[in-house]
Amino acid sequence: MIYKTNEYLGYPDRISVPAGEAVRFQLSSTRPSVKVEVLRLRCGDVDTNGPGFKYEVMTSPIDGEHACLDQPIRPGSNAVIDHDGALVPTGGHWCFGAYVYPTRIADNARAVMGNWCERSARGYALELDDEGNLVLVLGQASKTPARFALDVKLRPRVWAFVSCALDLARGSASLSLIVPADGVRPAAAHSKSFALPQAPALDSGLPFLIAAHHANGDRQYTSHFDGKIEAPRVFSCPLDAEALRVFDGRLRTGASDAGLVAFWDFSDGISSLSIKDVSPNSLHGSLRQLPRRGVTGFHWSGSVHDWRLSPEEYAAIHFHSDDIYDCGWQTTCTLDVPAHWRSGVYALRLTSGGDNPDRDCESYVTFFVTPGKASRRADLVVVASVATYLAYANSALRLYQVHFETLMEHVLWLPQDDVFMQENPEIGQSTYDCHVDGSGRAYSSWLRPVLNMRPRGYWFNLINDTHILDWLEEKGIAYDLITDVELDREGARALAPYRVLMTPTHPEYYSFSMMNAIMAYQNAGGRHISMGGNAFYWRCGFHPAAPAALEVRRGMAGTRTWESEPGEVHLAGTGEPGSLWRHSGFAPQKLVGVGFSAMINDTCGYYLRTAESEDARVAFIFEGTGRHEKFGDFGFRYNGAVGSEIDRYDLELGTPPHALRIATSEGLGAGALPTPEEFRTVVDGLDGTQNALVRADMVFFEAAHGGAVFATGSITYGMSLGHNNYDNNISTITLNVVNRFLDPRPFVMPAKT
Amino acid sequence: MDHTSDPGALRYVIDPGRLDLVEEFRASPLGVHSPELRKLLARMRWGKPEGRLVLIVLEPGKAWRLSRIPKRRGDPMPFVDDRVFTSLVEAEWHVFKLRWQEMTGTTLPAEVSGDL
Repeated sequence: MIYKTNEYLGYPDRISVPAGEAVRFQLSSTRPSVKVEVLRLRCGDVDTNGPGFKYEVMTSPIDGEHACLDQPIRPGSNAVIDHDGALVPTGGHWCFGAYVYPTRIADNARAVMGNWCERSARGYALELDDEGNLVLVLGQASKTPARFALDVKLRPRVWAFVSCALDLARGSASLSLIVPADGVRPAAAHSKSFALPQAPALDSGLPFLIAAHHANGDRQYTSHFDGKIEAPRVFSCPLDAEALRVFDGRLRTGASDAGLVAFWDFSDGISSLSIKDVSPNSLHGSLRQLPRRGVTGFHWSGSVHDWRLSPEEYAAIHFHSDDIYDCGWQTTCTLDVPAHWRSGVYALRLTSGGDNPDRDCESYVTFFVTPGKASRRADLVVVASVATYLAYANSALRLYQVHFETLMEHVLWLPQDDVFMQENPEIGQSTYDCHVDGSGRAYSSWLRPVLNMRPRGYWFNLINDTHILDWLEEKGIAYDLITDVELDREGARALAPYRVLMTPTHPEYYSFSMMNAIMAYQNAGGRHISMGGNAFYWRCGFHPAAPAALEVRRGMAGTRTWESEPGEVHLAGTGEPGSLWRHSGFAPQKLVGVGFSAMINDTCGYYLRTAESEDARVAFIFEGTGRHEKFGDFGFRYNGAVGSEIDRYDLELGTPPHALRIATSEGLGAGALPTPEEFRTVVDGLDGTQNALVRADMVFFEAAHGGAVFATGSITYGMSLGHNNYDNNISTITLNVVNRFLDPRPFVMPAKT
Repeated sequence: MDHTSDPGALRYVIDPGRLDLVEEFRASPLGVHSPELRKLLARMRWGKPEGRLVLIVLEPGKAWRLSRIPKRRGDPMPFVDDRVFTSLVEAEWHVFKLRWQEMTGTTLPAEVSGDL
């Protein structure tokens, strides 16, 4: 059957919910009602060539049909300033302007600043038209908009100061554009005067906006600006354009500037969603849909790359017409998760109700139930990689990346969710994708439908991870599940109840608190089974003021699909440097013994044991297997346990000296290529057929206080567990590790470390 | 611009006379290929996404159908024909032939272009 997977869309208000607490679901459909069931997933993979789609249907208070609204997604970020009329021009003079750095000039008009309302055709604003000309738009008593254009086009990605001066007493206006000198281009200034309409209607009765117009009076917005805006200002006195531009916004105590109405200093509160007016009028505002702060401004000198050291050089905000943080939908139903439910991966199954349901209409909203206050804890905990699921949320790599088919080495296979994303781009894409203006997406939130974090969605990450849960269930190993959001919020306390921690196929995105939580856990005697590859790779953060959003800055290295703009590597939310953990002195090798080495674009490989594997310290791992077996020369989907993305041992990068490299990969080909940070110069000899560093290593080491770490170094390892009805050597050694790690007998670090 | 973002970065020119490479591909569309065939395939697969042939998964592991990436985000994404593939290898071979025709302007002779 060919399923329609997007007839119903939805998202939870919280991605993880402890048993005994409530989670609200916001659903949308063009159909008037939805049938809701709650599933606990064992294996979320619907591919019939794998272990099969396995789940338990729970009995829940929200089972049954619910009325469902058709709820739109309205992307686009902007600032909103409530002003009680203070920003409506009165009297004689009104001058306003800002630095702008447009990153996309196309399609519709793009608003810079004002209170203009499209529906009522009242108010005033500066905007750029679809060719980049500066335009003043004004309301008239006749309710016909009046538009005056300065016929000089702004250039994309060039800073300019745009302004307007109204002389209401004389009924005139002038528009000005000042382009400061840059590179070989000399400074330029342009202006033009106009006669104002007889009866301007400048009061829309609505808040003042930066980077958008009001679509109507219902707090819906349109004409979102793509680009940076810095230091917007308003005066109620006559000022020529250059005087308005060079006004020094730094106010001194006891000194007021005559005529200053507002000056928004975006360098104040970069980690917040508030904008501050430094004028005596305190016309502060707020940001919606999470535009990017901590970006270089007009005054950036290049001498600092951390906005915390010189915020005044980072006084711009980069707005995007396709920013999306929170769809803001109305709640459809609230689930009070029963206190006795087991933790795990859960999903709402959404189908058409009624007497004649459409059997091919099936959609999901995934969420995670964690142990409640009264839950009895298992000894082993799986930490679901929510940060990574978010980083990849609604990934459109298959749709829009030049190199992606070459990377995959086959015609791209697009799930129908990709078609939906192409046809409905307002859903917002992943941190691997670019905004419509070509700049990389730094944010991804769970307060919107995430199509590839669902059964029947693309399998990378979450669905692959459920293969490990399926194996745990098959082997009868009791486990709890929490998410890395708990690690981020609670640190090592989230792991303290457990003897064994298992991280799944691809825990690629880790925040400072998450990394340190695992290190502290391991050093306190915890045992960590790192089942995946390309693990603990990107330094990222949840935004303190937008906690459902992950923030990623790509830096200048690493395997990445976009690069940070110069000077924009630090996270706006926390200030810490983004980029790779390797470049923050905490390479993954330091945590689990192995770190990212290569991508496997063609055939997957397997492991062979090394001489070090004969050490008595690791004899328990290989019990029941042969010394010279190929480990994992099989597996679902990838056909090998060494594949997709692989990690290697490296003492210089932090692998503990006493770590044992117990197995290493074999069978990799020319499509096994190193990640860019692994080589200094491009030369022949870098691919998997030639270079010994292009490999996956399986490692084991003991940690302090009886703890230990086992790492597989490969994403595809988990998809080999179910081979041959779970009877295979990857399953055997994993079970050996799990059993020994669950055994309270302490591990002992060798004497010489 | 960088190497992996420039749609025009690959220099390789497909030689319509290299039917040996066609036969090598046909023998194993998803297999391990010779260095020369890898270059040819990289050239075929490279380029701006707009207009690229892709397979839409109708049923995971079972059924696929051809579509193309549209020019603009938001545009509809219809199927290009009625054919439903039940084998990825068949689909890979079919796309190879379409691209060969498109990129070389020549039609493959019948003896190397039949279904697998």
